[in-house]
Order: sequence, then structure tokens, then C-alpha cells
Amino acid sequence: MKLLSLALKNLTRHRLRSLLTIMGVAAGMFLYSSVQTMQESLSGATEMNANDTTLVVYRENRFCPSTSRLPEHYLETIKRIPGVNEVLPIQIVVNNCGASLDVIAFRGVPPESLKQYNPDIKIESGSYEHFMKRSDAALIGKHLAQKRGLSAGDKFEAVGVNVYVAGIISSDAAQDENVAYVHLPFLQQASKIGLGIVTQFNVKVDSVNQLDSVAGKIDETFESDQQPTTTRPEKAFFAETAKQMIELIGFTQWLGIGAVLAVLGLVANAVLLIVRGRVKETAILQTLGYSRFAIAKIVVLEGLLLGLVGGATGVLGALGFFHFKAFTIGNEGLTLALSPSPTVLLSGISVSLTLGLLASLYPAWKATSRPLVQSLSH
Amino acid sequence: MSFISIRSVTKSFTKGKTTITPLEDLSLDVTKGEFLALMGPSGSGKTTLLNLVAGIDSPTHGELTIDSRNIAGLSRAELTRWRAKHVGYIFQLYHLVPILSAYENVELPLLLGKFSKSERKEKIMAALDLVGLTDRAHHRPSELSGGQEQRVAIARAIVHDPGLLVADEPTGDLDRESADSILALLNQLAGEHNKTIVMVTHDPKAAASAHRTLHLEKGQLIEQNLQS
Repeated sequence: MKLLSLALKNLTRHRLRSLLTIMGVAAGMFLYSSVQTMQESLSGATEMNANDTTLVVYRENRFCPSTSRLPEHYLETIKRIPGVNEVLPIQIVVNNCGASLDVIAFRGVPPESLKQYNPDIKIESGSYEHFMKRSDAALIGKHLAQKRGLSAGDKFEAVGVNVYVAGIISSDAAQDENVAYVHLPFLQQASKIGLGIVTQFNVKVDSVNQLDSVAGKIDETFESDQQPTTTRPEKAFFAETAKQMIELIGFTQWLGIGAVLAVLGLVANAVLLIVRGRVKETAILQTLGYSRFAIAKIVVLEGLLLGLVGGATGVLGALGFFHFKAFTIGNEGLTLALSPSPTVLLSGISVSLTLGLLASLYPAWKATSRPLVQSLSH
Repeated sequence: MSFISIRSVTKSFTKGKTTITPLEDLSLDVTKGEFLALMGPSGSGKTTLLNLVAGIDSPTHGELTIDSRNIAGLSRAELTRWRAKHVGYIFQLYHLVPILSAYENVELPLLLGKFSKSERKEKIMAALDLVGLTDRAHHRPSELSGGQEQRVAIARAIVHDPGLLVADEPTGDLDRESADSILALLNQLAGEHNKTIVMVTHDPKAAASAHRTLHLEKGQLIEQNLQS
């Protein structure tokens, strides 16, 4: 604690230099945390867990929603397959099938089924009754609403579809926060796809063990039909369909590594400069009885403080940025909300501290390795 | 019995291919509470002798016993621990930490020990009182005169109550008046507080204020003057 206070005071000695270093660390850790947020969000969307019991039935060999056209009457056939618990026909209309940050996705669903199929949805403003009453009503995910500046009662137009905002919704499922739920028949007509055609069926099965068998049974049932299907667990569907997005996000990890190395170099350089400017003073402290270990501890603490303050600034900045900007990447009608998480905060702070420690080890050794008599006559 | 006993001490080191011997076969005794001045031209070995006595460096040969402890064979880490308890060092250019107040500078040696905050405060204020600077406790070095800075440096050297004070030209950077007051303070520390002081100086007047002066040349003791 005593040495920490000394280290803290040392950093205030060259305020501008410390401030510039902290800003550099903050910029690097902002980038690192942004990359981590993207990676975490992607993992959440693609990695399966024991609670995932949803299958997506899509048109075979199709990826963009505009090309997946399945007859709505498949619904009754799918419902009869053993192991199937619930089925939701969905019509998806998007403004862009490629990977993009500006995606608007309408999901047309039977309004009476939405609440039952997706009980996680919470109405933040407006009401579900309004949604039920008007055929052009839409429930807008809160990220989409935030991005477009929408609130309940507004009118909203995109991809040639005009809707009335009946409510703003939130959900534990990030996907739901980036879409506009509308009535299925309304979307089928407004998008000119026509009644009786849907993009996909979301199928809930009784247990996770039945995912493969039910998927196989569905595809087998429609194998010889005019519109054959490919059925996959929801997260596998995401991973296979949104490949462009996944490659893009996969690439960003190199940016994260670059940011980490830049921070390492920056802190090491700053601490080395500090140590070089204090050769005589370090020798004085050693003369007073400070051990080499104590001197090294002061240097390492300075590195840790630079890493911690800069890192915390950068990480919190990134989390705030993603929280308030509500970024969503879309690809093939699927959306990925880039949501900050406590894991990113913890990992960012841990990485900052580790970098501060690693960056100050060599300067700490440098500060203590010189013979005392030589340092005193420096 | 001697407080400092130096027996046939030689210090040599190599610089490139040349071996330099700043001290050769030197023997010396200093009693407890004695104020000793070391004089001599540059390169005579006085700073080397001071560093050996302060435990900053180790002799190549010979015995160096301080307060009954032979420090000649101590490792670097052992010497550091020994210095922290037994030695107070006063530098020519004071070498106070500029970002710390006088109080905090004096506190530095105490941070190494297991003292509570109130114990540290008591010791610091006593040391500052002894050097007459309690009213400057919260001033930074840049707000003090040279003489006051050296007084703070002396307070820092005595705050942990070491038996030995070593001073490397403590008045070399001061005007006559400040130098005289610093020398009076050192005399007071030796006389009233029984500190053993070894001081390197080029100033004959400073040396005259010590109890005894040793003259060194080429690493050898050539003359001793005992002040009356």
C-alpha cells in the first residue's frame, strides 16, 4: 500500500506523459474490447447449449430470405411429426442480404402465436393489444427502435413496408431486439410475396436429444416435394447461413491481437522512459535501504496503474459505446446485436493488468540490475 | 572498542583491461560518537572508502566491522537490509524526491519498517524538529532553500535512528552561512545524539569542524589531524 502510493505519486510527476500513455492504452483497449464484444456476441449466437431446442426449417440450398419460399401449409404436416412441440411460420423481409451494419428485418408471424411461442418478449412501451388490433401493427425490437429513433405510436417505412409501431419490445434473445415483428398476412401482402408463402418455420422440439431425429424426419417428409427443406438447430443455422458475417468477425480478432501488442509496446516504452529518467533516484532509494525487489515493485506498480487506468477507460468507453449506439450486424436476414457483457469488462480489465505487468517486467529488471555505485555516479 | 574497524582493506575493480585500486591496504578505527572528516584530492579514494563504510560497496580484501558486525562478506541483499537499519546517508545535492513533501521525503526510510502511521508521524516530526523544519513539513523541495533541503535530507538520514551517518560533501553546494549551520547540526548529532559521522569534504573549514580529519592520497592514508 505504501509503495502503491509512491508509484501513484511518481506517475503524477510527468502528467502529460502519463496522460498520453493512458490515452494510448485506452484507445488500444477500446479496440480490443470492441473486438471481444463482437466475438462474444457471435459465440452467443452460434454456440449451442442444453436449452436450445429450436429447429429452423429452411428451403434447401437457399440462404437469403428472399429466395427461401416454403408453402405455409407445411405447418400442419410438421406439427404432426412426433417430438414437435410448437411450430411458428415466419416470413422474413430484409433490406439487405449481404453483411451490413444497416439491416432492417421484418418478421411476419401469426400475431396470436407470437406471445405463446416467444414468452421471453417483454413490452417496454405500447401494448400487445394494439399489436393484435391493427393489421399493420409492428412490435419493434428496442435496439432497432433506438437506432431509428422510434417510439410507440410512430409510423415507420422500410423495404416498401409501412407499419404502425404498436410497441417496443425487449427480450433475452438478442435477435428479437433487432427485428420488427408484424402480422404474417400483412407482410406476405405488403412484400408482394403473396399469401400462403413463408420463409421458414421455427420448430420447438420436446427435448434437446430429439433435435437431430426431428430435423431428419422433417427433411425426409418434404424430400420429394416441390420445395424440399433443410432443417438445422437454430444456432447451427445461424453459423452456416451468416458465413460472411462470421468471417468478417473472425478477421477482427487479428485487430484485437494488434491492439494488445500496441498497448504492450506503449506501456513498456513509457515505463522504460520512467526508469531511465530516474536512475539516480532509484539509486538513492536503494541507498536508503530499499531492496531491489521493492524498487522493482514500484516500477511494476507504475506499469500496472498505467494499464489499469488506461484499460478501464478504454473498456468502459467501448461498453458505453456499444450500449448507446446499439450496433447490429445483419447477414442473410439474420441479425447479430453487438451487446456488451460483464465478461468483456472482466477480460478487458484482466488483459490491461496483465499487459501492465508484462510491460514493466523488463524495465523493473533494468532499474535494479545496475550496480548501486555506478547508478549513484550517474 | 572501535565502532568502525577497518583492517587491511583493499578495493579494486577492472575497467576494460585495466585494474584500478582506489584503496589499498587501508586500516582505520573510528569510535562511537566520533565525527570524522575525509579529505583528499579527486581519485584519492575517499568516496570509495565512504561507500564501503556505508555498505554501498564491498571491499575486495580485508575486514570491515561496524558496530561489531563484519559487513565485508555480506551479500548485496544483506547489505541493503543492514543499511536500512544502521546507516543514514547525506548527499551533496540532497537528492530529495521532488514530488514528495519534506514530510514524505523524511518518511521514506520508515516505509521499509513495520511502523504504524502514528508512529511514523511521531518519528518524522521529531526528526524535522531536530533540524528545525517542522514549519516546512508540507513544503516540496522546490519550495525550500538549499540549506533547508539539506536539513530535510539530514532528517531523512536520522529518522530511523541509525548509529552511523555518512555524508558525501554535505556542504559542497551551500553558501557559507548554510554550510556552517549544517556543520553545527552534524556536530550536535555526534555530540548530543552519539551518532558516528563519516564525512567526505573538500572544504578545510568543514573538515575543521569534525573531531578528526584523515587525508587520503592514491588510496593510502597519509595524515591524521586531531582537532582540539
